[in-house]
Amino acid sequence: MPAADRPSKPMSHASEYSDASDESLVRQAQQGDTQAFEELVFRHRDKVYSRAFSMMRNETEALELSQEAWIKAWQRLEQFQGESSFATWITRIVINICLDAMRRNKRLHAESIEQLAEESGGVERLLPPTQVDMLAGLERAELRARIEAGLAQLSHAHRTVLILHEFEGLEYKECAKRMGCSIGTIMSRLFYARRRLAALLADLKETRKP
Amino acid sequence: MTHETQLKLQAWLDGELPASDAREVLRLVERDPDAAALARELKLTRQWLAAGETLRPVPESREFYWAQIARYLPPRESATLAVRLIAFDWRRWLAWLAPAAAALILLGVWLLPRLAPPQSAAARAPEIETPGEELGTFTFRSDTEQMTVVWVNAR
Repeated sequence: MPAADRPSKPMSHASEYSDASDESLVRQAQQGDTQAFEELVFRHRDKVYSRAFSMMRNETEALELSQEAWIKAWQRLEQFQGESSFATWITRIVINICLDAMRRNKRLHAESIEQLAEESGGVERLLPPTQVDMLAGLERAELRARIEAGLAQLSHAHRTVLILHEFEGLEYKECAKRMGCSIGTIMSRLFYARRRLAALLADLKETRKP
Repeated sequence: MTHETQLKLQAWLDGELPASDAREVLRLVERDPDAAALARELKLTRQWLAAGETLRPVPESREFYWAQIARYLPPRESATLAVRLIAFDWRRWLAWLAPAAAALILLGVWLLPRLAPPQSAAARAPEIETPGEELGTFTFRSDTEQMTVVWVNAR
């Protein structure tokens, strides 16, 4: 019997919600319990918002799109059968919503100059590759902050391909499907984005030297 | 190194290159220092990104964030009903309902004058009348007084 079909005992106390697993909260929410859904929102809202912010780089848009993702999740909750974790499921929903928003605003297409750079491998292609791990020895939080600063300087198209491939672990084919382009374009964008990120982080290291 | 080779090198690192091409790329990395350097850089970027993204807290209180979501959540039963209503093919029923309604209206228009009770002669003509010459009778009806007076006059 799938997890979603198993009947669950209604929760009555606030502590029952906070102590419950994601799976049992999902089952409760599938039966119409909004308090269980609220607990799920509370647990995963920062992750969902962070992913929306990583993609959109705008606080207001990230807030609106993350909330839209939760509303869509409630509407589609009956489709969630527990094949993946709830966190993975809701993250995929917010990614799709952000991709739709970027498509509407035509942000998924690389700028003409970037497109040319992508096709030829970019100026970065000609630069000698970075041989020193400039982020070695950094604390995880500092490492993330540097990467964040580097990602912020990439275009939407290049940042998105890195997020889908590196953070979400999607294969080229799946990235292409979601971004609505060819596998060849994904490979070029990924290459350009990685080399650009390496160059940006190297610059960042140089400018921060005392 | 051509751009195509660079992309192959990247695909090899990402585990997306067929085994036959993978052997070729491996040989390239072993003998070409530029290819080896590029492979190292691409590996580095993968390592950095493996640290994941910065977790940003939602810049609103739990209650406010939830309230904005909650106002758009339809009740679970209504959501199911809404899905059923969407699935219901209204157009199929309208194709029957529209002609049926038109036929009913026409029938009503035709039947209405026939079903209405006939108005009484008195109501229609509240005037003096003489039913027969030999009887010498007068009938008078007053609608305002709600009264009928029959005067019989023997000749």
